[in-house]
Amino acid sequence: MYGLFATIMAALPSTLVSPTRDSVENSKVLVVGAGGIGCELLKNLVLTNFKYIEVIDLDTIDVSNLNRQFLFQKQHVGKSKAQVAKDSALRFNPDCKIIAYHDSITNPDYGVDFFKKFTLVLNALDNRAARNHVNRMCLAADVPLVESGTAGYLGQVTVIKKGLTECYECEPKPPQKTYPGCTIRNTPSEPIHCIVWAKYLFNQLFGEEDADQDVSPDTEDPELAGEAGERALQKEAGENAIGGGIQRTSTRAWAVSTGYDAAKLFHKLFHDDVKYLLSMEKLWQKRRPPTPLDWNNLPEENGTAEADSNARIQDQQLWSIRRCAAVFRDSIEQLKEQLAARGDGAELVWDKDDEASMDFVTCAANIRAHIFGIQTKTRFDIKSMAGNIIPAIATTNAVIAGLIVMEALKILSGNINKCKTVFLNRQPNPRKKLLVPCKLVPPNPKCYVCSAKPEVSVQLNINTLTVKTLEDKIIKGQFGMVAPDVEIDDGKGTILISSEEGETEANNNKHLSEFGIRSGSRLKADDFLQNYELVINVIHVDQLEEDKEFAVVGQTPEPGPQPNTPQPSTSANGPTEPQPGTSKDVEEEELMIVEVEEEEDKTPPSKATTGVKRKTSDSSDQPAAKKVRQTATEEEEEDDIIAL
Amino acid sequence: MTSLKMAATGSAKTMDKEKKYDRQLRLWGDHGQAALEASRVCLVNVTATGTETLKNLILPGVGWFTIIDGGKVTGEDVGNNFFLERDSIGKSRAEVATECLLELNSDVRGDFIDENPEHLLEANPEFFRSFSCVIAAQMPERTLLSLASVLWNYGIPLLVCRSYGLIGYMRVVVKEHTVIESHPDNAHSDLRLDRPFPALTAYVDAIDMDSLSKKDHSHTPFPVILMKNLIQWRKELEPRSRQTLIPPSLLTLMFCSQVPSEIQALFEDEGCRNLNAESSDFFVMTKALKEFVDNEGKGALPLRGAIPDMFADSERYIQLQNIYKDQAKQDASAVASRVSQILSSIGRPSHCISEEVIRLFCRNAAFLRVVRTRSLEEEYNPEKACVNEMGVQLENPDSEIALYIMLRAVDRFQQQYGRYPGYYDDQVEADIPKLKACMCGLLQEWSLSPYIKDEYVHEMCRYGGSELHSVAAFMGGAAAQEVIKLVTKQFVPFNNTYIYNAMNSSSATYNL
Repeated sequence: MYGLFATIMAALPSTLVSPTRDSVENSKVLVVGAGGIGCELLKNLVLTNFKYIEVIDLDTIDVSNLNRQFLFQKQHVGKSKAQVAKDSALRFNPDCKIIAYHDSITNPDYGVDFFKKFTLVLNALDNRAARNHVNRMCLAADVPLVESGTAGYLGQVTVIKKGLTECYECEPKPPQKTYPGCTIRNTPSEPIHCIVWAKYLFNQLFGEEDADQDVSPDTEDPELAGEAGERALQKEAGENAIGGGIQRTSTRAWAVSTGYDAAKLFHKLFHDDVKYLLSMEKLWQKRRPPTPLDWNNLPEENGTAEADSNARIQDQQLWSIRRCAAVFRDSIEQLKEQLAARGDGAELVWDKDDEASMDFVTCAANIRAHIFGIQTKTRFDIKSMAGNIIPAIATTNAVIAGLIVMEALKILSGNINKCKTVFLNRQPNPRKKLLVPCKLVPPNPKCYVCSAKPEVSVQLNINTLTVKTLEDKIIKGQFGMVAPDVEIDDGKGTILISSEEGETEANNNKHLSEFGIRSGSRLKADDFLQNYELVINVIHVDQLEEDKEFAVVGQTPEPGPQPNTPQPSTSANGPTEPQPGTSKDVEEEELMIVEVEEEEDKTPPSKATTGVKRKTSDSSDQPAAKKVRQTATEEEEEDDIIAL
Repeated sequence: MTSLKMAATGSAKTMDKEKKYDRQLRLWGDHGQAALEASRVCLVNVTATGTETLKNLILPGVGWFTIIDGGKVTGEDVGNNFFLERDSIGKSRAEVATECLLELNSDVRGDFIDENPEHLLEANPEFFRSFSCVIAAQMPERTLLSLASVLWNYGIPLLVCRSYGLIGYMRVVVKEHTVIESHPDNAHSDLRLDRPFPALTAYVDAIDMDSLSKKDHSHTPFPVILMKNLIQWRKELEPRSRQTLIPPSLLTLMFCSQVPSEIQALFEDEGCRNLNAESSDFFVMTKALKEFVDNEGKGALPLRGAIPDMFADSERYIQLQNIYKDQAKQDASAVASRVSQILSSIGRPSHCISEEVIRLFCRNAAFLRVVRTRSLEEEYNPEKACVNEMGVQLENPDSEIALYIMLRAVDRFQQQYGRYPGYYDDQVEADIPKLKACMCGLLQEWSLSPYIKDEYVHEMCRYGGSELHSVAAFMGGAAAQEVIKLVTKQFVPFNNTYIYNAMNSSSATYNL
């Protein structure tokens, strides 16, 4: 039967004839993500006669995936996406070898060596952190990457090849929307502020506690400036208010001590804390002051909250405050049980598709909105906002996955120069184009990830080489840096060497392995003065010839600043600096750029910057000790979007 | 007991569906979903493109599908069709595909007819009447034309879709398709500040900005402030011109309430002017809308009723919201009573269009659309073909129109020789001049100069009528999207031909 397939491949135009057939069959591809695009893509690959596929996805299957992720069925809910996708795809072509990983691609197990074994990497991802990571890994391994994304009816496919095209990080992405802490804690004015607050509250009560997600009144509000004298007093009062007169304890500990008593929680959150806010009079001089609510005396059915009786869907009805209070009680009860079922010290992770979690956020956000005279919202709408839900359908994913394979075929046939960035519009644009192909853009010479600044691979023994040796002999000696900052690119931004005197002295005599460095680890070395950054890929070897401590593989750069980055001081502005030449070489005027502002993400907005590698050029602004939290492992996003 | 239990399962099922379809409900709403679930689609011929299209309809929950195909599964089929498994070679193609596709979604029903569509068309054309939409994959030209003509007469939309080598082709054939919810990209708010209704005027007049506290002043909803400014500005003008003019500085914020030109054209549409007992609900409502504009509306469409989020205190926001809502309700009920009058006058029950539909219609009054495509018969008749359009497009030799012409030539070849050019490997070379002759014949009929690159002819022969899975996957996605538009009557389908060139990832739409 594959003789017949050969007929099909032979039917391809001259640029893709038999060499392509062989290169497809001999290729090894990595599919990152087995969600909406990933399922379609696996099917397409299997039917295009790809013989070796590895697929990785850390997610498990949810009911809301079934409307488009067709390799999964009801009985698979809760199972590993990668594994089930593999099993389903193999049914249709048992000749294909598929290896599935139920894991995060950011796991250090998947280092440069892992990526190097592939001819091609195909992204079917849904979040920026993982896209950034795969982008860097593919650049490091010098493997071509096909990047893609969809959002509702919109979609996009592009090709990334080191040195030839822009990389995923060549253009700075718009930062994710964040809200100032005092708006969330003290002076909400929009529904989203209350929703963010409610998600924080969920984490405070049931999830991972985070000091940046405080939900109690904030006495540090800059608007209160001038009340400095009072502030001290207020602060004291505030601490007393929290926990109802007990010594300051965490919200969580206090909630536990009450046995998650809904009435007590309600009273603290929606009465005492609000009263306390009212005491900060400055805040309310130009604002409508909030109205505390009394658990035992809730307002009558809210006349303004008009329930749409025609709504076929319960979620689209607006809840009254009484209903919210009842749901508040019931959902806390359920969440408490969920928490107890997980044993001591367990934490819940907020999930928009978990009934109780979503109920809790809906009612808490609406009660707070009511208090502040902000419109309340339906559960359906709050789910969209809280979960940053991007609508998703099978059709768009099918179109995009089809395009991905076409680009992959061009790469495999040696025609990468014919690859395009393709945008899918919702409907034909005024020039009657549904698809808008654009030429690939060459790398941004200023890109902090893929710029001409060289990368090197260094062979060394991670168990015997000390940080001091790394600094003196390799970074300074070999690569000519004067005052390097070096950190491990392990998602946490662990600082190995700081240019600040004395800051990392304690590391000096430790071996690299003690910092989690292993073969395939990447070190980022950065000399602020020289405006010079270098990525070092560590290759572990037990023994080097002639007892050398290390050996550089491949090119060795000239010491000092690179001649092709002549801008000495301006680039210190980092990612916020508008980049020249950002506009794509667009063949169509009416290009609809797929710009998805927010990704579906479990991490609340204020955490939006976590996991994003800070720019080397502004590293001096950052406290060296600041630990950047790794978000990649907690992502359970499921829609495949992209913002290029 | 029994009824209680049933109710419980029923609601569990609804919840389940809500969850399963959550991500798409956010695109077309629960009424769109209901329309999709009520629809019946028919696929004629099991090709990779055809089953991919069905897959993308079954996953979001189309109600019912029927597959018609008289063929048996071949080795070639299983090589590019995900829904035909290896061990099914020799079995009925319609049956195997139906079984595999049904696995995708337990809420969808499907059946098949193991019969040549051509025979079915001759023996029982009535059969096609029950469908909301028919999808025709790869079909011989003659059969396609007769299917198209049957469906045209029944007023059932037809979507032709095929992939041929590296070319994708789609054609929407629909006599008349009306869209209430066209989901425009940038719909302005309808605030009516330029022609306020009495309740709005009264509300605005009652607010004395000067007497408001600083806090209340800063929390005044912006439409009130705009109105106040507008009134002031008009006072300062001389009396004669003051009723109509709007200060340019306010224009951008004002969102003028004129009837858009598309809607004015709709009022003059035949369907609206010649109402009769057979007229669709859409045109009954359009007629009522026109009467409303001419009378109660005083030249404006019914008020939409929604106001945007704005910085304001919630009390006044809700007051204002209610004022707009109430007026929208009033307008909608005025339209509704005109609808009943019209219905009676054309001999239909006066309440056969629900209030809910009328309200939806009024909310979307500025965005109504009617799509009427040309019939396939017209397109395939050299006298009526859009020769000029093709001629203009052909001036660019790389235009996708060349691919369209090649597809037509391939079909002509198939008609003459009973197979697609290049189907047999050893005949690829021999078929090239034959295909070229077919192409020249077509161009001659259209009186177009035969300028199409030879390499297109060569490529078409090399395709040998084969489908490439990734092209089929692409077309299956795009085609299903059009079917969803047609059956949910939301969003605007394209008019009428779509060509996808997989080689350079380009595409184009033509009205042919």
